[in-house]
Amino acid sequence: MPTLAADPLHDRFAAIVGARNAVSAASELRTYECDGLLGYRIRPRIVVLPATTEEVAACVQLASEHGLPIVPRGAGTGLSGGSLPVEGGIVIGTSRMTRILEVDLPNRRMRVQPGVINLDISKHLAPHGYYYAPDPSSQSVCTIGGNVAENSGGAHCLKYGFTVNHALAARVVLSDGSVLDIGARDGEADARGYDLMGVFVGSEGLLGIVTEVVVRILRKPQATRTIFGTFPSTDEAGAAVSAIISSGIVPAAIEMCDQLAIEAIVAATGVDWPLDVGAALLMDVDGVSVEVEHTADAAIALMRAAGAIEIRAPRDDAERLLMWKGRKAAFAAMGRISPNYHVQDGVIPRKDIAAVLREIAQLGRDAGLRIANVFHAGDGNLHPLVLYDQRVPGEEAKAEAVAGDILRVCLKYGGSVTGEHGVGRDKACYLGEQFSADDLDTMKLVRSAFDPQGIFNPDKVFPTPHLCGDRPGLYVPHPAELTGEAGRG
Amino acid sequence: MIETPSIAGVMPERTLVPADRRELAAIVRDLYAAGKTFAFVGGGTELDLGNAPRAIDTVVRTTALDRVIDYSPEDQTITVEAGMRIAALDAVLAQHDQLLPIDTGDRQNATIGGAIATNAFGARRHRYGSIKDLIVGIEFVRPDGVTAHGGGKVVKNVAGFDLPKLMVGSLGTLGGIASATFRVFPKPADTRAVLVRTSPASAFFDACMQDRSLEPSAVAHHPAQGGIVLTFAGLEASVEQQLAHLATLATTHAITVAALDRRALEMLAAAESAIRCSGAWRWTVSTNPVGARATVAPPVATTAEIGYPTFGVTLASAGDDVSIDALAATRGGAIVFRAMPQRARGRIDAWGEPPPSFPLMRALKANFDPKGLCNPGRFVGGL
Repeated sequence: MPTLAADPLHDRFAAIVGARNAVSAASELRTYECDGLLGYRIRPRIVVLPATTEEVAACVQLASEHGLPIVPRGAGTGLSGGSLPVEGGIVIGTSRMTRILEVDLPNRRMRVQPGVINLDISKHLAPHGYYYAPDPSSQSVCTIGGNVAENSGGAHCLKYGFTVNHALAARVVLSDGSVLDIGARDGEADARGYDLMGVFVGSEGLLGIVTEVVVRILRKPQATRTIFGTFPSTDEAGAAVSAIISSGIVPAAIEMCDQLAIEAIVAATGVDWPLDVGAALLMDVDGVSVEVEHTADAAIALMRAAGAIEIRAPRDDAERLLMWKGRKAAFAAMGRISPNYHVQDGVIPRKDIAAVLREIAQLGRDAGLRIANVFHAGDGNLHPLVLYDQRVPGEEAKAEAVAGDILRVCLKYGGSVTGEHGVGRDKACYLGEQFSADDLDTMKLVRSAFDPQGIFNPDKVFPTPHLCGDRPGLYVPHPAELTGEAGRG
Repeated sequence: MIETPSIAGVMPERTLVPADRRELAAIVRDLYAAGKTFAFVGGGTELDLGNAPRAIDTVVRTTALDRVIDYSPEDQTITVEAGMRIAALDAVLAQHDQLLPIDTGDRQNATIGGAIATNAFGARRHRYGSIKDLIVGIEFVRPDGVTAHGGGKVVKNVAGFDLPKLMVGSLGTLGGIASATFRVFPKPADTRAVLVRTSPASAFFDACMQDRSLEPSAVAHHPAQGGIVLTFAGLEASVEQQLAHLATLATTHAITVAALDRRALEMLAAAESAIRCSGAWRWTVSTNPVGARATVAPPVATTAEIGYPTFGVTLASAGDDVSIDALAATRGGAIVFRAMPQRARGRIDAWGEPPPSFPLMRALKANFDPKGLCNPGRFVGGL
């Protein structure tokens, strides 16, 4: 690799995006060495920050001509290493592509550049009574382009669906620098031909990079009611979730925290949740007002029948927001009760929550490690946090092994190794445990149609012998997470 | 002996009916190895959709693949084989007061695999979304006979590329669907529908769609009935409140709202089914919600889904060649012909101009079906 200061390609990229927006100084590149998966760090060769589709296309073309791998990057909040640079490759960051291009309220669509922050879409729409539904915990900092790449979820996806259900169309730059519009064009119910948008969303930067996204926007519901319930243990809380879901209630969200998670959240955020309980559920019901009142009452009755200790309703909007802030700050709050922790993300059938949590607890006991749970219970998306102390020899490796075993428990119950954090670099080696070689081969047929040379985000998602010898990394919270400004999971 | 059906005007030589999914894969593998062209057929209710295939030697009929593989009512997911009829699936789910909100013209005959392959939808899309929003997993046999899976059995999953989405609406050109897993829904405690005597272009209809006190589960324009059918589903108290609110709103706009009883609804469903299943000419007009409301219905039988998100589709039948040629000439990309007389085939492309992303679609097809044997030529742009 040439020395960075003398990189002959720097000037070529700078000619496209402007000198200030082509980064190749070692000190500046450090910012881009990793995403939310902090255990892996790779310094890219050059980072470019284009402002337009044309600039992105020119950068991709130049990289492609020189055989440089390309890693797209939004806000860098991903938890699976999807934006981890590739040695000697370039990173295309979308941080300058922050324009809202079109708001079409009558058709409930909005067209934005990929660097627009998720929450800013809803803020922009709020005066009109509309919002954008997918709400990853990092929504105050993560970008819509990253959401498209990861098919981001969030607490309220239980009722409203994930990014893939809300991203209708996109302008994409492919590996040869060509620009194509995919998805349903305005005036089409569905794209004619193959659903390229459907397969692009969640492709983790392996198929190309988005430069415009058309999202569906929703009318704000008439009413929302939040319910907080505490339980003796996760058995009762899990049973309550199963009872609520199977009763036919479709809550906007149901989140579960176990005793350890409550302890951490209380310590970090000051919510007045009781510490002497085994689990808590935080639930939103929304819709037309009468439906909300009846549904909330029915859910409360089911919680009580399942053994709830106490049911609370927030007194006002401020308290409601505080409750949700507590939930969204949960991962980072773990720092209050453990020096280190490993964030896991897996999915199980919703009826098996209590049983799987018991198995996970057993894995923790066997390894001598504590495991906290704070997760999207309504859709069975677990986030076990394996707590450990890096200073204790062998404990980190033990935590990683337990985190891996948790994924195998998810698979044993017919689940998935990731519900929303993505495969990225982190879980490429587990993908082969969920899918057969033929399944993965078929996915690669899709990849090579979009990117025959594989220059977009190589060494991600698909298991390779090269990758699967590596060790997973550590999670260190961003300061904004500790304050509840932004969160994960 | 099953009769071999004609596919968009082309008569295949024979029909094979695999007894199970393993046999489905074996048949496809053998056909592909032998260089034979083939097409997958379920209930055969949409065989006129698309252009005439270049050739079809063999029809692979999936109707014997009609088993429920896994149904977990508590978890609200179901995995079924592709040949299961929609009505049969409805019956299985009804035992647990659940439903899969897929609307097709002919529930008795249409299969779940066919509904996926043709991306079938109707008025309930307003609340539940389309098959893309309901499907969580798929098993399919690639044109080369290799069985592949995507997605899974849980309702949330981002592991691997979203192959289920890719198969929805692909009209069997990337392989044959063997089974699929869906998210299912509780049957609402109460469902009631009303006919609102107004047009989709009216201020009243716009007011209804903007009103946060109203959350209809289905929105459909029935010109023959003289209005819009709004369906409300949910708890009884909620349905009642919404109907009362609608009535008040209607009074201020001097609009008539008529409750539809079970018999009226059955007649409406039958009329809609007839429009979707019969007629020498059938086409769908796809537009945005605003356009859907403004579109003047063609002078033929129509039914239209005019709710959100972002769709508004009219299904029509009858019509004469002259007016249809004019329609096709000015259609842009928004009209797809679902049936046309043999005499029109070749003259009118059922799909219209391929979309800008067509080069990618061609690359995908070439990767999945390098020999071009699987339903060749029937889909968009001759895929």
